Amino acid sequence: MIRFLARRLAGSAVVFLLVSMLTFALIWLVPGDPTTVLLEASATPEQVERLRGALGLDKPLPLQMLDWYRRVLSGDLGRSILLNRSVTEALLERLPVTLSIAAIALSLAVLLGVAAGILAALFHNRWPDQLVMVVALFGLSVPDFWLGLLFILVFALGLGWFPTGGFSPIEQGALDWARSIALPALALALTQMGFVARMARASMLDVLSQDFVRTADAKGLSRRYIVLRHGLPNALVPVLTVIGIIAGALLGGTVVIEQVFSIPGVGRLVIGAILSRDFPVIQGGLLFLAAVYLVVNLIVDILYAAVDPRVRLE
Amino acid sequence: MSEAATTPLGAMWRRLRRNRSFVIGVALVSIIVAVAILAPLLAPHDPLRNNFRARLQPPSAMFWLGTDHFGRDILSRILHGARISLVIGASVVVVTGILGTAIGAIAGFFRALDEPIMRLMDAIMAFPAILLAMAIAAVMGASVTNVVLALSIATTPHTARIVRGSVLVVREMEYVEAARALGASELRVLFRHVLVNTTGPLIVRLTYVFAIAILAEAALSFIGVGPPPPAPSFGNIIANGRDFMIVAPWITIFPGLAIIAVVLGLNLLGDGLRDVLDPRTRI
Amino acid sequence: MARLTRRRSFGLGAGLLVSSALAAPTLAQRRGGDIVIAITQAPPSLDAHVTSAQAARNITLHMYETLFARDENARPVPELAEAVRISSDGLTYVFPLRRNVRFHNGVIMTAEDVVASIERYRRIGASANLLAAIDSVVASGLHEVTIKLKQVQSTFLDNLSSPRAPIAIYPAAEAAKPANQITFIGTGPYRFVEYLPDRHVRLARFDGYVPNTKAAGRDGFAGRKEAHLDTVTFRFMPELGARAAALEVGEVHLVEAVDGPTAQRFVGNPRFTIHRVMPFAMQVIKFNHALGVTGDVNFRLAVMSALDMEEIMAIAFPDIYQLDGSWIYPGSPYHTAQGTERYNKRDLAAARALLGRSGYRGERLTFIVDNIRPNIDTATVIQQRLRELGVNIDISVSDWPTVSRVGFTPQGWNFWCHGFGIEPFEGPASVMAPWVGGASMMRKDERIDALFAELNAAMEEQARAQIFTDFQRHMWENAIAIKAGNYGLFQVATARLRDFKPYRIPRMWGVMLDA
Repeated sequence: MIRFLARRLAGSAVVFLLVSMLTFALIWLVPGDPTTVLLEASATPEQVERLRGALGLDKPLPLQMLDWYRRVLSGDLGRSILLNRSVTEALLERLPVTLSIAAIALSLAVLLGVAAGILAALFHNRWPDQLVMVVALFGLSVPDFWLGLLFILVFALGLGWFPTGGFSPIEQGALDWARSIALPALALALTQMGFVARMARASMLDVLSQDFVRTADAKGLSRRYIVLRHGLPNALVPVLTVIGIIAGALLGGTVVIEQVFSIPGVGRLVIGAILSRDFPVIQGGLLFLAAVYLVVNLIVDILYAAVDPRVRLE
Repeated sequence: MSEAATTPLGAMWRRLRRNRSFVIGVALVSIIVAVAILAPLLAPHDPLRNNFRARLQPPSAMFWLGTDHFGRDILSRILHGARISLVIGASVVVVTGILGTAIGAIAGFFRALDEPIMRLMDAIMAFPAILLAMAIAAVMGASVTNVVLALSIATTPHTARIVRGSVLVVREMEYVEAARALGASELRVLFRHVLVNTTGPLIVRLTYVFAIAILAEAALSFIGVGPPPPAPSFGNIIANGRDFMIVAPWITIFPGLAIIAVVLGLNLLGDGLRDVLDPRTRI
Repeated sequence: MARLTRRRSFGLGAGLLVSSALAAPTLAQRRGGDIVIAITQAPPSLDAHVTSAQAARNITLHMYETLFARDENARPVPELAEAVRISSDGLTYVFPLRRNVRFHNGVIMTAEDVVASIERYRRIGASANLLAAIDSVVASGLHEVTIKLKQVQSTFLDNLSSPRAPIAIYPAAEAAKPANQITFIGTGPYRFVEYLPDRHVRLARFDGYVPNTKAAGRDGFAGRKEAHLDTVTFRFMPELGARAAALEVGEVHLVEAVDGPTAQRFVGNPRFTIHRVMPFAMQVIKFNHALGVTGDVNFRLAVMSALDMEEIMAIAFPDIYQLDGSWIYPGSPYHTAQGTERYNKRDLAAARALLGRSGYRGERLTFIVDNIRPNIDTATVIQQRLRELGVNIDISVSDWPTVSRVGFTPQGWNFWCHGFGIEPFEGPASVMAPWVGGASMMRKDERIDALFAELNAAMEEQARAQIFTDFQRHMWENAIAIKAGNYGLFQVATARLRDFKPYRIPRMWGVMLDA
């Protein structure tokens, strides 16, 4: 198990390094830099150059890259050119926002999805099964940002039950906080729930048809007991892999949803940084998102390995 | 019992025909493709024609789905938008198919390259596709080509993984050993069996890739890195309508419904194909 | 001292003295209140010297002040200076400073601070060329600054008071710091409290503020500034729908800009006041004279003849546009219709004739534009219109940094459109400056350069008016660039906001918020 862990960690580290190199490659190719945001249309090229010098943007790229790696290894992600604070600060400020939405969306998707999937399996080929499958299929086919817009139209603008956007920090009241993340989290969860539901259903069906279940059945144990004690744990194992996949989709989805709902999260920070060529933030933000994705997948892999010994020997 | 019924291909086709998902999916997708191809004939108005006196009209006899803030007919734009979205989706499928197969096959065949290639694939998968596409658009401008490029890059790693998986399976198979023992050329044997083994999962995967591409293209257009104006891609229509959601919600609603229809059809198609071609992953 | 100030700032024109101790809290105007304003962009920086972005000005001109500032009619008047004495040869400007002006850190402003700030601007200011005529700046007394020019410049006070990238007066200690690394300390009626990037900037009333007693009341960026509100929060909300919705539910009290259809929703609703700010900017389509057929005057004239300006303005700026061919706002003494005969001809036949005479052979041209909807709409309308002429245009939408980068090089673009807001407000020199040296069209125009030099030397308004008219005629006759029209903003506020008068920025002095 330790060896497995070590191998996975090493693998993740390599991936992380590759990600950082890729972000640098992207930035190197991107035209424009922050000076063009500070100045308006009729600024002259001399004014631009003057400002670039003042901001230290005129060093050659390889030198900037080496500087950056040296600092990251000592724990400093650099300083945002435009936001007047360190990248780490900017990320940490937004972390709770993005995490709360993504975590809640993930939890909702998993809980509701698993519940729906198991329900469908238990009522295989009867109407609850059909219903769950149809709803799951629709969920997969709806664009999450459009669903978000629809929610705003109906529940915020129409009924006024929720704010039309923005984020209310939890320190300013739990109810306001809940209301501000309800629609974005729901929009994300509903579109991912379908995956989980289908996977859980299939997995459960698989388990229910296996010998040990039929044996227990024959022994006269109650159906519910069988399901809970034997079926459920086994059925949930493949669901773990889906969680890994969804985590990635949720990270991407959160980026767009933050735009739809004007939520100041990490996704919006990075988009803003790309639009204004704030290089340190772009680097730090992309790396951060990649790190989250890798950590989630690592946890999923570990859980999977803990449950299924065959995986460890891979 | 006719001859055709006993061939593996024939049997497969019969199973597909009986699969409800497949049938509905094929029907839906065919209708949409037909509509997209016939869009110039079916569209009641020119999707690009500005008519500023008819701005932001609700659905009416003249404009069945209403007009946008240029006075352009939403129905006509959606019909032409279907073309753009389908072309993008198909292009992504082709590029991913070729790239993913090549990369996956190489990783599967050559053990030495397996680890580094798969790590690179992992690194690419760690990028949210949206951010990747934005960065590419910033570098090279927003266009159909760049959307296809960005989405292909985003979907290739998973495709490669699937192909690689199939290749690995085949390598271990007993009959491959047996065939080799019988002296058949190693490459040819591997090739034939890989092809047979991979095609099923690959087709299923590419169908889903099509669906993913449609959804992703809409999101990218919405953010502003999709096909440039005046192209009526679904995401562009929705994005254009965003500022007018309060006064003209039809601009937002109808293209979304169109997206659902297309993606639903493709998902059904994918499910049907998977039931028959790749039953191991059947859910 | 503080008490004295408080009592003074209670005076509101008609002498409405309301002491918080005496009056019972009623729905009447009162001191205090926290206002939230929704602005369309986040400021790229709060260091006023280094940015000319509107978003920054909205905020910085509440925190900082300048030596001279523009009044309600855009004329330069003293602000931190008491007055100005100009030598007879026009080369020496002596500014006695107002005494008892305090910075937010409590320190009194002296000539040293002014000199340090101006020198900093000369080094790193976004529009440092405004001060190009300066030879030396010295503190000629504890409260007196003397500036010597290298040559006579009729527009020097205009330049000094330019609000575009304001020459804000910082404490000397801050002025010593590099770009973007200052602590935000100024002399303005509001002081900096916090900046949460991607969320808001918050300011609070500076109780040590000393209003300019020489002025009668609110006057443009100058005048007597009386801050009654406790705090002002500028929330960044780029999405139009989000701004409108926030206003509707009371999350914000004023939106900096909404468009026509959105403003319509608030008409007739007694809870809101709609302000129509017109004109706020000019929509301009630039040509790249150094690349391909857009360097050909016949082609440019063909494009100009073909366009229907009403179509462009009605789609891009619904309900808030005016058709006007003059390169300065109506209301300016320099505004004239002379030379604008070619504006809005809408003549496709004439256009075709001109196109025939040009070198256009069907090639695809590039129209670059940033991702602000009216600009994209302008480009889209033009693209469709010129399609009828047989001209093929590809629109390339990028974000602002990319577009600006490309737009100031002679490669990669033929057309570019965006607004010019503050330049026409500032006056003819600001309007002409972007076209000097070919900076905006990529090829020097000798006539424009000559006219600009003449303008700087001409001290008489009559002569300047003539020069500007010549400039305008030259722009239209040669289709240097195309002006589509003027546009404005709808600013919608809660009816609880009293005495608000729109201006180049949403001014929060002289206003009150009812309970």
